Amino acid sequence: MAKDIPPQTLDAVRQPIEPANGLPNAHYIDPDVFAVERQAVLCATWAGLAVAADVPEPGDAKPMEFLGMPLLLVRDRQRRVRVFQNICRHRGMILVSEPKKIEGAIRCPYHSWCYSTSGKLVSTPHVGGPGHNTHDAIEKELLGLIEVRSHIWFDTVFINIDGTAAPFEEVHADLIARWSDFDQPLHHGGPDSTFILDVKTNWKLAVENYCESYHLPWVHPGLNSYSRLEDHYNINEKGKFSGQGTLVYRQLKGEDGTVFPDFAGLDAKWTEGGEYLTVYPNVLLGVQRDHAFVIVLEPVSHEETREHVHLYYATPQTDDALRAKNSVQWRGIFEEDVFVVEGMQKGRYAPDFDGGRFSPAMDGPTHCFHDWVAGKVAAHLAAP
Amino acid sequence: MTSLQDWLLDAHDRDDRRGLVALYREAADSTDDIDAACFYLTHAYIYALEMGDPAQDQIYLRLKAHGRV
Repeated sequence: MAKDIPPQTLDAVRQPIEPANGLPNAHYIDPDVFAVERQAVLCATWAGLAVAADVPEPGDAKPMEFLGMPLLLVRDRQRRVRVFQNICRHRGMILVSEPKKIEGAIRCPYHSWCYSTSGKLVSTPHVGGPGHNTHDAIEKELLGLIEVRSHIWFDTVFINIDGTAAPFEEVHADLIARWSDFDQPLHHGGPDSTFILDVKTNWKLAVENYCESYHLPWVHPGLNSYSRLEDHYNINEKGKFSGQGTLVYRQLKGEDGTVFPDFAGLDAKWTEGGEYLTVYPNVLLGVQRDHAFVIVLEPVSHEETREHVHLYYATPQTDDALRAKNSVQWRGIFEEDVFVVEGMQKGRYAPDFDGGRFSPAMDGPTHCFHDWVAGKVAAHLAAP
Repeated sequence: MTSLQDWLLDAHDRDDRRGLVALYREAADSTDDIDAACFYLTHAYIYALEMGDPAQDQIYLRLKAHGRV
C-alpha cells in the first residue's frame, strides 16, 4: 500500500506554501489511497459523525453508517450521547435499522438479546436453553455494546474510531479557547434548519473550498456585494485548524426589521465579525453573533460526499419566517459551491496535474489542511 | 372461541408488544409445567424490557425465583 503513496509527494505538500504542491491526484481518485486516508486521517483522529440534536431526547436512537461501519447514535437515560457499533454481541446482527425511540431496552431482532441505552447487556433469553436465561459461558458484564470513543463539542458528535487520538480537549485546545465566547447553549433550529447536499466529490475538496475566501467574489458574487474579499482574513493554525474570518458580518433581517437574538456576552469583535473554520478532518463550523452552523462531511466514498448542514441559534424559539429565510440563504450559498468541488474532482483525473500550487497570500488555510493530511498519512505509513 | 395461541399470533402480527407481555404472562399462568412457564415468562420479560413496561420487575422476580435469570 505504501508504494502507492510516494513519500516525496507528501514531502512536496509539506513544504512552505511558496514552493509547495497540493496533494496529488491519487488522494482524490484512488480507492486504495482513500483506504489509507480512512485509517490515517479519519479513524485515527476526532472525526465528525453527527450532531447531538439528532437524538434530542433520552432513548432516541439513530442508526448511522460511517466509512462503511454500522454505528448507533443514542441518547441514554442520563441524557448522555453515546456512539456504539450497531451490532449485537451474539451473532453480529444489526440492532437498530431505523431511527426510533428506545422505550426500555434495545432488543436485537434476531434472538432478542437486550441492551440498555448505556450499552449494558441486560438479558440473554434462552441462552442456557428454553426458559433458562443465563449460561456460565456468557458473561453479560463482558458483552455490552461496543462503544466508540466520542466527544461532544459545539453540539457536534466527534468520534475517534481507533481509540488512539489524544483527548479532544487537548487536540483542539486552541480552537476551543478561540471560540470560548460560544461555549454556551446552541439551539438547533429544527427540521427547517437542516439539509443534506449529496456532492460528487472527495470530502477533502469540500474542506479545501470552505477554508478559503479567495473564491468568494467569483463563486458567491451576491455574498461578496457586502462581504468583500478585503474584509476577510485567513486563519492558519498549522497542524491544528484553518479557515477564514470576516470583519463585516451583517445580520439577516426580516420584512419588519426582525433579527435573531444574539448569543449572550459576546466580545465586541463579534458585532461585525464572523469566523468559518474546519475542525480537521471533516467538520465545518461557522459562528456569527446571532447564529452558527455545523456541517458534517460524510465521506461516502473516494468521490462521494454527503454534507449534513445544521443551523443553530442563541434561543430555543426564533422567528419562523426569518429562520426559513436564513436556511434558504445558506443553502443557496452552499449550493453555489457544488459545481466547484465537483469540478475539481473531475479535474483530478487529469494525469499531469501535480496537485497544483497555492497562492501564498490567499491559500494559506487550504495549504494548512493539505499539510495536516500529508502529515497524518506520512505518520501512518511510517508506523511499524 | 379464539385461543390464547391465536391471540398471541395476532399480537405478533400487529407487533403489539405491550399486548404480548400480557399474553405471554397469561400463557405462563395457564401451565403447571415450570419449564413451559419460564419459557413464556422469558418472552413476557423481554417484551416488557424492550417497552420499558413496569411489569418487567414482577416478571423478573418470578424468573429469579426459579433460577432462570
